[in-house]
This record gives sequence, structure tokens and C-alpha cells, in this order.
Amino acid sequence: MILELKEANQLPVKTFRWLGVNELKLIKEIPEIKPFPPVELTGKGVRDAVIGLKHNPSGIELPQTGMGEETSAFLHRYRNREWAITVPKGKKIAEPLFLSYRLDQENPVLAEELLIQAEQDSELTLVITYEGEAGLPLFHGGLIYLLAGKNAVINLIQIQLLPGEGIHLNNIGGACREGASIKITQCELGGGHAVSGIMTALRGENSEMTVDTIYLGDGERFLDLNYVANHYGKNTKSNMRVNGALFDNSRKIFRGTIDFKKGASGSEGAEGEYTLLFDKNIKNISVPLILCGEENVSGKHAANSGRIDENQLFYLMSRGLSEGEAKKLILEAWFHPVLDTIPSETLREQVFGYVKERLNHVKSI
Amino acid sequence: METPRNKTYVDDINRSIYDKKDKVNAAYQTSRGLTPEIVDQISREKKDPQWMREFRQKALQIYHELELPVWGPNIDGLNMDDIVTYVRPDTKLQLTWEEVPQDIKNTFVRLGIPQAERTSLAGVGAQYDSEVVYHNVKEEVKSLGVIYTDMESALREHEDILKEHFMKLVTPRDHKFAALHGAVWSGGSFVYVPPGVSVEIPLQSYFRLNAPGAGQFEHTLIIVDEGASLHFIEGCSAPKYNVANLHAGCVELFVRDGARLRYSTIENWSKNMYNLNTKRAQVGKNATMEWVSGSFGSRVSCLYPMNILKGENARMEYTGITFAGKGQDLDTGVQVVYAAPGTSAHMSSKSISKDGGTSTFRSAVIIEKEAEGAKCAVSCESLMLDSRSRSDTIPVMDIRNDNVDIGHEAKIGRISDDTIFYLMSRGLSEADARAMIVSGFAEPIAKELPMEYALEMNQLIRLEMEGSIG
Repeated sequence: MILELKEANQLPVKTFRWLGVNELKLIKEIPEIKPFPPVELTGKGVRDAVIGLKHNPSGIELPQTGMGEETSAFLHRYRNREWAITVPKGKKIAEPLFLSYRLDQENPVLAEELLIQAEQDSELTLVITYEGEAGLPLFHGGLIYLLAGKNAVINLIQIQLLPGEGIHLNNIGGACREGASIKITQCELGGGHAVSGIMTALRGENSEMTVDTIYLGDGERFLDLNYVANHYGKNTKSNMRVNGALFDNSRKIFRGTIDFKKGASGSEGAEGEYTLLFDKNIKNISVPLILCGEENVSGKHAANSGRIDENQLFYLMSRGLSEGEAKKLILEAWFHPVLDTIPSETLREQVFGYVKERLNHVKSI
Repeated sequence: METPRNKTYVDDINRSIYDKKDKVNAAYQTSRGLTPEIVDQISREKKDPQWMREFRQKALQIYHELELPVWGPNIDGLNMDDIVTYVRPDTKLQLTWEEVPQDIKNTFVRLGIPQAERTSLAGVGAQYDSEVVYHNVKEEVKSLGVIYTDMESALREHEDILKEHFMKLVTPRDHKFAALHGAVWSGGSFVYVPPGVSVEIPLQSYFRLNAPGAGQFEHTLIIVDEGASLHFIEGCSAPKYNVANLHAGCVELFVRDGARLRYSTIENWSKNMYNLNTKRAQVGKNATMEWVSGSFGSRVSCLYPMNILKGENARMEYTGITFAGKGQDLDTGVQVVYAAPGTSAHMSSKSISKDGGTSTFRSAVIIEKEAEGAKCAVSCESLMLDSRSRSDTIPVMDIRNDNVDIGHEAKIGRISDDTIFYLMSRGLSEADARAMIVSGFAEPIAKELPMEYALEMNQLIRLEMEGSIG
């Protein structure tokens, strides 16, 4: 079937049309959507979570998502997995829960609608891995809602290791009540076309959102990110850190918006983006927005891109490493802070192994 | 429970000299609106050569084809059917100040133009509504081969140069208001600085729009030839009327190899003005383009000077300040296309929003594949003086090669209570403390301006700040 998106990952405020950054238009052929076999949630605390078979049985109002309504409608319509995870009031699930998806010849498509709800004073860490069989046309589309109740914490870690033929749509909408916190870590390492959008409404006072993302572009890979932090409540905080590396003919666009709505006094927002560039054919686009309708706020963003620091490279090479080895070492160190937050040694090793393997195949190292 | 901070608002004070209206005393003006007949009337009135007549009609056609931008400030208040596109004042171009009619002369005297000419400028052009009424350039500058004249004279005396350059950098296809400009342009200045000539003191053009409900569409074309240098200053103002006025000027700057051009603007249009201006520079090998830009006036401004760094090691510097007060939506910024190796740019923008005003910094940085070794540093700071105002930052960076060094940073915030407290503990009133902090915030821009303009800018900030005790 044909996936056609005309206004995905829309910039909250439009700018010059000739730059082509206001939205993503995407037309791709994807395999036919069939039912997806059940995949179990694992982890020590899994019994403390309540699993529902419908994503939103009580019809609560769901937050807006980063990729936007058009993508949400598509995924809602064609979903082949629908469910909900609820952490009851006061329940803090100390150990992380894991979910591991593998797409293959038999099941090349996963279109998932998932609601994660952490009720008042509860806590949850969920690690989702997406992998797939190389050489096949694969599609993953995730529509994930995160609702964090008063003083609740949702920690979502997504590890995307799909092969180069895979298309990955990751459409997240979050909302925080008073004192709540949503933390999202995205390792956007795989997929030929990876599109990710996160929009979080910081409605309650003292609520916060952090996003940590790493990405790795090589070959013809294309990555399109749109993160939006909407500050409504007083003293809310947001922080987005996006670090990545681009090789070969890969392309990346990152739109990051901090939006201080009127009334969000005392709020703080920060956004930092660092991109390492390795090839003359890369394309790297950054659109870091700060929108501000409130006086008593503090917002800042910084974006830097360029080659690896020559002094670092020189130092390592003076210690006997080849240029390629030195570059790999620096790059691995660059990803370390984020990969270290993966709360499973086995999984951490797997991801490090994946990154090393990918770097072994990059021509410019 | 947070204690709300006490605030007192006082209305803006009068814009004094800028708002003084003159009796409209036009010798000729077109009907309102935009038709091929009106454009042809302008051509006839201005005795355009045939190619310019055809150019205008073609641009008008493009104007009708193009749609309005889907981004940027709301311009619903602007109805082209209500705008008079051409108003010729009742005088001819004068070369001596004494010959300028008294009412027009009074306006420019109030604005300090003749005095500035005597003390600190190499030449002056003064445009009143659609036509340049006074143009003068000092003999010593003229003797160096520098041409500084109004566009109409240039069209007669230097037709070949104009034919080669006019609307070649900014074409009517660029956007709807560039097409409009192509159709109805009148007035403006033409400057040519021959190779190796350094014009030590600035040239200045001052644009004054007096007629209500009119548009001003002046065209500025500057060619700074190889190894030459120039500082050009542009000033704009208009009195306040209750109807919308439109300014859709166009500035084309050719900075040849090894040349240097500084283009300074203090824009203080009245607050009924839609300032939809287009500026573009093409910068050659080892050449430098510098922009110093202060935006204070107008109801709506859309102004993003574009720089094409075409030659190796071409450089661009942009220093801009925007001050948006009550009822204003000022959308300003800068655009750069890096198209050659070793090119670099440094951009510094400051904006202040107060009393319900909206200021937006919008930028585009494009590093092409061939721009190996490109360097770019952008710094953008915004100050919000109250919560009825808005301040948005919308930068885009598009990088297409790896051998680059790109840095962008932006900050938004307010004046900290601690700083005000400190200054008040030293004996300043709260209003003075705030004005001092804002002036300090604007200082990096002020120091880039010639002294008279720095004083004018500080005066404007002081006038604006007198209206707010926050």
C-alpha cells in the first residue's frame, strides 16, 4: 500500500517556503498491513502494570503529537496493534519494563497505537527495541501517548535498529500534570527513512520534559525529527539534547521548538544540538525555534555542526591510533552518555555492537 | 503562592518630529489600486524607456500570479486596492538645498538632514513620497569618479548599467511584493564607486512618505567596484495616518572582488506602515558586506537582507536591533547563501518587545556543497519587557558539506530583578534603571553606527522606554 503524508512534522510556526522545512512530505510504498502477533512486555515489575487491550477505552482526551494529526489518523486507521499500559496511583515500578519488536518476512509491518498512563505518584521505565531482518521492505509506525499524572514519572527509552530498507514513523504526544516528568531517550540509529515527532504539553506547575537523542546517518539514510515542548504551567522545564553523526549521502533535519505560552512564568527551556559531519555529500538541517509569549521565562538554544575536533584527533593519533580508529573512538565516546542510560547491560552491549558494526561499514572512516 | 510583580503602564509618548504631517501637495498622483493602466501611467509620467515599460507590465503580471506568503506577520490590514502607488510632489529634483520648496524643506530640516550633510556626509539624497526631491554629492567625491544620483537620472544617463543590473539580484519572481516593486517602483538612489576608490565619509538617502494611503517603492542600486569601499546610510520615516501606508522598496547591492560595503539603516516608519522591503547583496571574492540595521517603526515589517557570498573568502557581517512596541509586529532577520570556499558570516541580532509588540528574528543560512571551509556564527538575544508582548526566534541552517564550522546560539529572557535592584540601590529610579539596561543591551549595535545615528537610536530607545515602567 501507499503511505502518503503531506504535512508531517510540521513546524509550529512557518518560515520561508523555499527552504522546504515547514513540513515533511513523504510518499512511500509499504507492505500490506496484516495482524501482528502478540509481543509480551517483560521485566520484574510487569505485574504492577495494568495492561489494557484497547488504547483508550474510557475515551479520555489525548494530547497532540509531534508528527501531527495526519500521521495520527493514518496510524489509528491502519493499526495492527492497539493496547494500553497503566501504572496505578502510587505504584513505582523500580525495574524497567522491556518490549522488543522484530520485523521479518512474515511480519514486515507494525502499526501500533499505545497509551502509557502513569497515575498520580507512580513511576515507569519502558524500553522498546525495534529491529528487523535486513534486505526486506519493513514498516514500523508507532502512535504513542504518554500521560503523566500528578508527580508521576514516565521514562521512555526507544532503540531503533531497523535495517536500511526500513521505514520508521515515531509519533509521540505527551502531557504532564503538576510535578510530573516525561523523559524520552531516542536512539535513532537505523531505518532508511526515520521520522520522529514528539510534542509534550507541560500543563501542570513544576512539570518537566527532557529528550535525549542520538542518531547515526550513513549511506542514503534520511532522518526527520520534530520535537516541541509546549510550556503552559508555571515553573515548567524542558530540555532537548540531540547529538548525531552524518556520513556518506545521509540527510537529517531537526526541528526543535520551545514554546512559552502566556502564563508559563518562571519556566525554563533549553535545546542543544551537536552534529558531527564526515562527508561532503551530507545534508544537515537545523531549525531551533524559541516562541515566547511570557516575560518571566528563560530560553536558550545552541546548535553546532562541523568536523571532529582536530586536536582530539591529533592527540589520539599521537598515541598510536590510526585516523579511522581515532574517529571511531571519538564517535563512540560521543554516544556514550546516552547509551549508558540504557538500563540493561545486555541491551547496552547489543547497541554498542550495532554502532561498531555500522561504523565498520562506513567508507569515510 | 507567587506574588505578582507590580507593574504600571504609561502610554507611549508622542513621536514628536516624525509625526509632523505636511499638507499633501502633490503635483500628480495615480488612482488607488493596481491595473495595467495605472502602471502605464507611471511609465508615461516617468518617461520610461521601452524596456522599462515592458519590464513593469511583466512584473505586474507576475504580481497577479504570485500568492501572498504563507508565513510571517498578518498583513490583512493592507488592501492593495486602497494604496496609491505613485505620488509626485510638486517640485522637480533640485541640486541645491535653497531650491527645495519650503514645506518639504521644513520636513527634512526637522529630521536634521541638511545639518548632517554639512557635518558628516559625502552626499545626500532625499526622497519625498515617490520622487527624489534633492540630490547632492560633494565635489571631492564626484572627482573620484563616484556616481551618486537618483534612479530616474541614472536610467537616462547610465541606462546600460541599469539594464544589466536592475532587478537582476532581486527578480520580480522572488515574491509578490518584489513583483509589485518591479511594476510600480519610483525614486531611490544609484551609486557607483569605481575600482580602488575609497569613499571615506558616508553617503545617505533619506526616505520620507508624507501622503496618506500611499505606497513608497524606491529602488536602491549600489555597485562597489573591485577594491573600492563605501558606507551608505538609509533613513526612513513617515507621519502617522489612520489609513495603511505601504513601503515595498528594493535594495540591490553588488560588492565586487576585494570591495567593502557597509549599509546602515535606521528605520522609523510610522506605526500605520506596512514595511515589506527586499534587500539583497552579491559579495565577490575577498569582499565584505556589512549590515547595520535598526528597526523601530512601522506596524508590520518583513525585512531579511539576503547575502550571496559568491566569491572565495567573501564575508558578511550583520548587526541588527529590533524594538517592537504597542501594535507593532516586526519580523526581521537575515539570510546568507554560502556559494564559495572560505566564505564566512557573523550575525548578531538583538530584539526588544514591549507593550504588546511582537518581534521575530527569522534567518536562513545555506551552506552549499562548494563552500568548503565555511564559517558561520549567529548570536540572537531577545528581551521581553512584559507578558503582553511576544518574541519569537525562527532560524534555519541548511548545511551541505562537512568542512564547515557552524555555531548558532539564542537566548530569551527578561531584565532580572536583581539588576534593577542593584541600579536602584545606586540611586536610579526604576524607569531610569530599565532604560539604562535596555540601552546597554543595544550598545553593541549603537557602537556600529555613525555617531549621529547612534544618538538617534538611543533617543528612540529612550522615547520608547519612557512609556513603560514595568
